[in-house]
Amino acid sequence: MESFHYSQFSQEYSNVHIALFTNVTNATELRNRLVQASTMSGPEGDAERQAVDFAFIDATLICSTLHLKSAILNSVLAQAQGALRTKTVHSEILWNLNPTNNISEAIRRYGVSSSTTSLLVVRIGRPGDPATVQMQMSAVVSGDLSPTSRLAGITDWARVKKYYKILQQIDADPQKDIQRVHEIVVSSVSMKSVIV
Amino acid sequence: MNPESSSTPTQRLISRATLVSQGAEAAIYKGELHPPPIYPVPSGNRDHDSEPVLIKYRFHKQYRHPTLDASLTKSRVAGEARAIGRCLRAGVNVPGIRMVDLQEGVLAIEWINGKSVRFLLGGGAEGEEEVDEVHGDVVESEETDEAEEDPLKGYNITQDDIMQLIGTEIAKMHEADIIHGDLTTSNMMLRPPSAPDKSSELVLIDFGLAYTSTLVEDKAVDLYVLERAFASTHPASEPLFASVLKAYERQAGKDWKAISRRLDDVRLRGRKRSMVG
Repeated sequence: MESFHYSQFSQEYSNVHIALFTNVTNATELRNRLVQASTMSGPEGDAERQAVDFAFIDATLICSTLHLKSAILNSVLAQAQGALRTKTVHSEILWNLNPTNNISEAIRRYGVSSSTTSLLVVRIGRPGDPATVQMQMSAVVSGDLSPTSRLAGITDWARVKKYYKILQQIDADPQKDIQRVHEIVVSSVSMKSVIV
Repeated sequence: MNPESSSTPTQRLISRATLVSQGAEAAIYKGELHPPPIYPVPSGNRDHDSEPVLIKYRFHKQYRHPTLDASLTKSRVAGEARAIGRCLRAGVNVPGIRMVDLQEGVLAIEWINGKSVRFLLGGGAEGEEEVDEVHGDVVESEETDEAEEDPLKGYNITQDDIMQLIGTEIAKMHEADIIHGDLTTSNMMLRPPSAPDKSSELVLIDFGLAYTSTLVEDKAVDLYVLERAFASTHPASEPLFASVLKAYERQAGKDWKAISRRLDDVRLRGRKRSMVG
């Protein structure tokens, strides 16, 4: 897990924790748990929501940590400006990753599904002990905590290109083509607030 | 006023960045968007994501009505971002977008490590004296002692190669029906090779005046503006610009004939079409 402190934001959401889990075995349970937590009432519900208060993102659709951080930056900025389009700053990350404005589509595509085996878990919150956050993440996800640098081998470029509607090859050199696709994707996420 | 305590996140971001250049429409800063990790404790090798970014800040204009100012700023930032996005999809070399804040009038883009073509052709770097006037404590210009050496050292490229890159890049952009609107040698940068076996890349910058158009006229005028810019900033520029057009022709293919013919017309009458009648 990696932690970052965005000092331009106020304390309530200045710290960002990003963890990559591979070989995740409890995706289906996790998804059901999230759905249930959202409808539970009373103090139990609050406790349950607290326990799963992360963004869970299908890692195969993320090209790089810069890609993910661009979506995070947009989400925290929207939070700070009181301009969230979804209910929480965590769900806002999923919305920012999806090129369209459809929230349920964003969650379906980028959120955790029964077939997910690689998962990125993000927590945005107050400055605190990173070790505690890491423990909370590991308590929810059964899988191998991996360095985020492993992301490079996980990305499913064909699906990324499909969702971002990058239909034709942009560069003849395959390595450069990937670079260009990456740049289009990162730029598209960053300019999400601009209606194209 | 202390900018740290009573301002928005984006303003705090700018207040920590370094002013690079200041114009009438916007100020340019060099800053960082993503901080290096605080956990695990950084091992010393630089985090790839904390590369610098260029922040273009279209500040509030006191002379305009606030409502008009807000809507103009918004549409200009959005327009610039859109043009860059279209260029990226068309495979034109442009800096990638890193953050857009329409409310604050901020556009953050990838920092290009390189020099402007204007500088590399010996036209001098633009606007340095102005920066020193406005902000005396900003970075001392680094160029002064390098000026005596060959500016193209380290780029592994000849002047003529640069011209060909320019022609190709503009043709790719026009093919996607994007008109730059302000083609000058200052608005093109050469990015040095990322590895010894790679080559330098020409990057088009400043899409503040860009728009989309399918008209041959607009493309021809775009080229004409560049021709005039060459003539006014670089001595003996005719063979240089001829080389730009040759590369443009190669890339543009069948579209070239119409644009070439129109460029000849534009040369005779100037950039503006006759408004009589």
